[in-house]
Amino acid sequence: MYPATIDHYLAPKTLQQALEALSLQHDGDAMCIAGGMSLMQAMKSRLVRPKTLVDLQHLPGINSIQFSPDAIAIGAMTRYAAIARETRLHGAYEALNDAARHVGDRQVRNRGTLGGSLCWNYFAACCPATCLALGAEIELASLDEKKSQRTRRIAIGDFLKGPLETARRSDELMLSIRLPAPPRNAGSAYKKWGLVTDAFPVVGVAVYVEVNASGACTAARVAVCGLVSGPKRAGSAEKALVGKSAKDQGAIAAAFQAAARELDVQADMWASPDYRRMLIQELGSEVAHTAFQRATGRK
Amino acid sequence: MGHPDLNWVGRELNRKEDLRLTTGKGQYFGDIKLQGALHLVFVRSSRAHALIKRIDTAAAKAMAGVFAVVTGAELKDKLKSLPIPVVVPALPARYPTFWPLAVGKVKFHGEPVAAVVAKDCYIAEDAAEAIEIEYEDLPYVAGPEEAMKPGAPILHPGWDDNKIFELGFTGGATPESVAQNETEVDRLIREAPVAIKRRFKVHRTGVTPMEPRGAMANWDPSDGMTCWVTTQRPHIDRLALAEILDIPTNQMRVIAPRDQGGGFGVKAPFYREPILVAFMAKHLGRPVRWQETREEHLMCVSQERDQIHDLEVAANKDGKIIAVRDRGLGDVGDGCEGVYWGFLMPFLGSALLPNGYDLPRCDIKLKCYVTNKSALSPARSFGSFATRFAMERMVDLVARAVDKEPADVRRLNLFTQLPYTTATGVYLDSGDFLKVFDTLTAKIDLKKFRQEQADARSKGRYLGVGFGVGAELSGVASAVLVPMENQPGFGAATVRIDPRGNVQIFEGDAPLGQGHETTFAQVAASELGIEPEHITVTTGDTGTTPFGSGTIGARGGSYTVSAVANACRHLKTKMAKILAHDLKLDASPADFDFASGMVTYRKEPSKQKSFRSLAERIIMAPLNLPAGETAGLEYTAFFEAEVPMICFSAHACVVEVMAQTGQFKILRYVTAEDVGKMINPAIVEGQVQGGVVQGLSNTMFEEFVYDDNGQQLTSTFESYKMATAADVPHVEVTDACTPCPHTPLGTRGLGEGIPGPVPGALTNAVCDALTPFNVDIIELPLRPNRIWQAIREAQSAKRAS
Amino acid sequence: MQQSVSVEINGIRYDEQVPIRMLLVDFLRDTVGLTGTHVGCTFEGVCGACTVHLDGEAVKSCMMLAVQANGRAITTIEGLAPKGELHALQKAFTARHALQCGFCTAGILMNAAEFLKENPDPTDDEIRHALVGNLCRCTGYSHIVEAIRDAAVEMRK
Repeated sequence: MYPATIDHYLAPKTLQQALEALSLQHDGDAMCIAGGMSLMQAMKSRLVRPKTLVDLQHLPGINSIQFSPDAIAIGAMTRYAAIARETRLHGAYEALNDAARHVGDRQVRNRGTLGGSLCWNYFAACCPATCLALGAEIELASLDEKKSQRTRRIAIGDFLKGPLETARRSDELMLSIRLPAPPRNAGSAYKKWGLVTDAFPVVGVAVYVEVNASGACTAARVAVCGLVSGPKRAGSAEKALVGKSAKDQGAIAAAFQAAARELDVQADMWASPDYRRMLIQELGSEVAHTAFQRATGRK
Repeated sequence: MGHPDLNWVGRELNRKEDLRLTTGKGQYFGDIKLQGALHLVFVRSSRAHALIKRIDTAAAKAMAGVFAVVTGAELKDKLKSLPIPVVVPALPARYPTFWPLAVGKVKFHGEPVAAVVAKDCYIAEDAAEAIEIEYEDLPYVAGPEEAMKPGAPILHPGWDDNKIFELGFTGGATPESVAQNETEVDRLIREAPVAIKRRFKVHRTGVTPMEPRGAMANWDPSDGMTCWVTTQRPHIDRLALAEILDIPTNQMRVIAPRDQGGGFGVKAPFYREPILVAFMAKHLGRPVRWQETREEHLMCVSQERDQIHDLEVAANKDGKIIAVRDRGLGDVGDGCEGVYWGFLMPFLGSALLPNGYDLPRCDIKLKCYVTNKSALSPARSFGSFATRFAMERMVDLVARAVDKEPADVRRLNLFTQLPYTTATGVYLDSGDFLKVFDTLTAKIDLKKFRQEQADARSKGRYLGVGFGVGAELSGVASAVLVPMENQPGFGAATVRIDPRGNVQIFEGDAPLGQGHETTFAQVAASELGIEPEHITVTTGDTGTTPFGSGTIGARGGSYTVSAVANACRHLKTKMAKILAHDLKLDASPADFDFASGMVTYRKEPSKQKSFRSLAERIIMAPLNLPAGETAGLEYTAFFEAEVPMICFSAHACVVEVMAQTGQFKILRYVTAEDVGKMINPAIVEGQVQGGVVQGLSNTMFEEFVYDDNGQQLTSTFESYKMATAADVPHVEVTDACTPCPHTPLGTRGLGEGIPGPVPGALTNAVCDALTPFNVDIIELPLRPNRIWQAIREAQSAKRAS
Repeated sequence: MQQSVSVEINGIRYDEQVPIRMLLVDFLRDTVGLTGTHVGCTFEGVCGACTVHLDGEAVKSCMMLAVQANGRAITTIEGLAPKGELHALQKAFTARHALQCGFCTAGILMNAAEFLKENPDPTDDEIRHALVGNLCRCTGYSHIVEAIRDAAVEMRK
């Protein structure tokens, strides 16, 4: 019910202060708190017992979405609510709007952050899979031996490891989630199914497509969440979508049937493996259709 | 001043409770603070079934701020165990011995094993973590079928098997008559043109309230024990606590907080935890409080339903049911729970199986087994959620077998002549079931729907409608409650008029959201001819209120409110007599009207006196009273209806099912209600809407799950999923009332049984929608993955044949 | 470990020493004494009964530590309307019988108050979706939706 004793609470006002706090920690017993929607659950159930808490809420420069000619940088502390409202993600990256709009509930969306979701990497979470489908890049900051700031970038597929595991070192802070400037002919979508509205998904599917002038797919990325092994790309579906267009209903369905066969689906109290496979097919086809519509600019 | 013709009964008066509850000024258990109170936290078993080998409390005891650590072994010689008579039904069952903490062994994941009392709840949780317990695992008894196997591990020391209760409900009182009935029902089933048999399974689920439980106790050497408990039954808790703790009842006071966050039966049992809280308060000489966490709550209480029914029905070709045979099986958990013992719910459920259907020939039996789970605790639709589901599905199966409209098969089988006693001995006192049902089918325009359904089907869309009905208890008469719970069923209320014409009502039952402060005030206002704002209602404090068995079984609107009315009528008679005497009139009390704050002689309206000054005269200046009359205006009425009473409702659910995924949408949910004379229609509507959504949530989303090792997996709201506003439809409530002839106002109680018709209505709707696929869903929960699976199985069965 | 926290609650500033691990909801209820905000679940933060405003945004106060509110402004149910007045939502909830036991009510009112600022003319479906983070067991939600709808009309005037 209540967290274990916490010895230190820091609320750094600059990135330097935050990084210094992280680099000083011993035995990894300092944790960062972003929105807290996952961490507070873990702390209150005593799954984790940080002795030091570093609160990221006051850090400047990482809590909004920056649009520049060649990139979109979503600050790691950007709240789901802000992402949900952001119209400039429409079209190519609209899957992020879809995902952010339906995380938890509106109170959770006021607090939870995209960076927090990715760093926590809960197996059923929507955002890691969505970012995987969008081909995002993660920017991480840390201090070198001279205490100067440095950054590195890592592809989302390399950043996300097993459930609750990422490539972030304990002395690193996520700064942003970067996407290339949206291609004009790209579209993405995300949809999930869970037992009650906006619950953690039993299955969620994110699809990103680029299409040519005649609406045929030239590139595709498909990611599925809700699998016990964490979010996964479905290569078989991605290959099968290339060359197809929105009107190829049968081919699109076949693509997601292939995905359903390729991916490891579990049985649990919410669904059998067969039902999960069906959801991958049905949700995948629906989401792909929406992604195609967004890519071709059709409503 | 009020309108002279104003009658407060039947009006949608804004609730008096709402000002404080919408502004954060409610006084719930968690808001009541006692100076210096210590906090108690339970350590609960991590095992489903195990011997306790060792409990090491040294580290916990040594922590700063820890006042006490206690285990079952230490308690058992200091504290009486249950069972004690006041919380034991007068039914032939086995009642397991237990203390508030486990002694010798644990029987379910979550059973309290030790307790820490500390300065605050944070330290208490730290200390609880520091307690080490060594268990020796025993085999897990997973359900009734495992529990009844020869050689199954025995849960309770001294028992020779795990059967806690067994009863036959039909066939009369002698073994001969029972055997004769069995033979007759068997014959009818064998010879019937239509005979259908199904094994219905209803999962473990319940109606968990938003406010978890709590208990706080303070022991004063001269005043004795005061306990605040989140309870529906303070007077019963008082008797039980006094007995267990060996404290005379005049030194035992139980207070149900003025505001409570829902109960629905969950706060009705006499539980382990308040016993220990009170004991520790006396032992330490300090106030002690325990605030249940949601995790404890979901782990240990709110689990109900969980029944299997092998139900067979025989019918004629026209769909008239001629015989019913039911063998029920209840999984009651460890059964260690005061008043209900886990089995009382399945007991009543089997008794109510015939519902409102005319079924003269029934052979109904029930067996309940203890298992390594938490004991079942009551929920709305007490025991009957499962039996209503089974019967309502069965009626639709009969309709399918005889190729008739399910609504018409219901019409054919519903009682048309009341009163009637069912084959199980349940008395249905009054009501017009067909009027209710016809109101319902008119409201949904059944004929039009069937056309829309056919049209949709031709276009590959699957719409369906399902029905359910419920003849539910309206209060629980002593004739039923004394044998069932060893407790009386009367409603009691004290009405006290003060010298300024303001009125206080005292009732011993504890409301948890039903609006008694408003509805009782409306009734008293109507009776006395004053405004509801002049009436306050005090509830749930055993120190100040008359005895009541609790807010259970829809007593409020049936029994307690009747006591309020009768107490007012008694006082009116007295006031009228005295006024007649003062005005030197040769008049009887019936010649006076109480309205608009005045007491008026009807034959000569100029002869009147204000209610307020009449009250003042009788209390403050009690001179020259008529012979035989005394001063004062306070009266306690005890109401017992001459017969047990019911209310009746009929539900219809319209759905669209997506056959591709098994997902479905409820397009419409409509009910028709006979709640007798309505006191406050807004409150009636709210009760029905809330109860229906509880039933929908139970049917579709909620399930308490134990894994193969007895680990309870559903102790947070992430895993025990409750319906949100986005998951359920608007519920349309329609009035089809027949006043009850046995209550002073014609009211019926409602609330208790509302979820009962829901699982049948919803499941029937889904099966009706999927008629082309011929799916036959007989197990709950009802979920898209199961519907999808049922469609696939039906399709492959079709291909095979 | 204790830490000082300075936070404005319903317009009044509080400077307190609190354990770092103290939940914001417990700070409000026990340290500040405002018991209108309720706790209905354990660590999962699903029920929404603890909803308050943090700088005007609806958040679950059981999912924050008190120290995180340092330097910020909280509004609880007790501060939803100025003293002596009632918010349009409070009036509508009473008029529409949108509460029974009242345990979830404060959380719903606080959530709805912010929701209506963001969406002043919502459809019933939008209202229902906005309420996903608030569980109610008593009412079945219908009257709550009607009350929020009524309040929206009133607030647009």
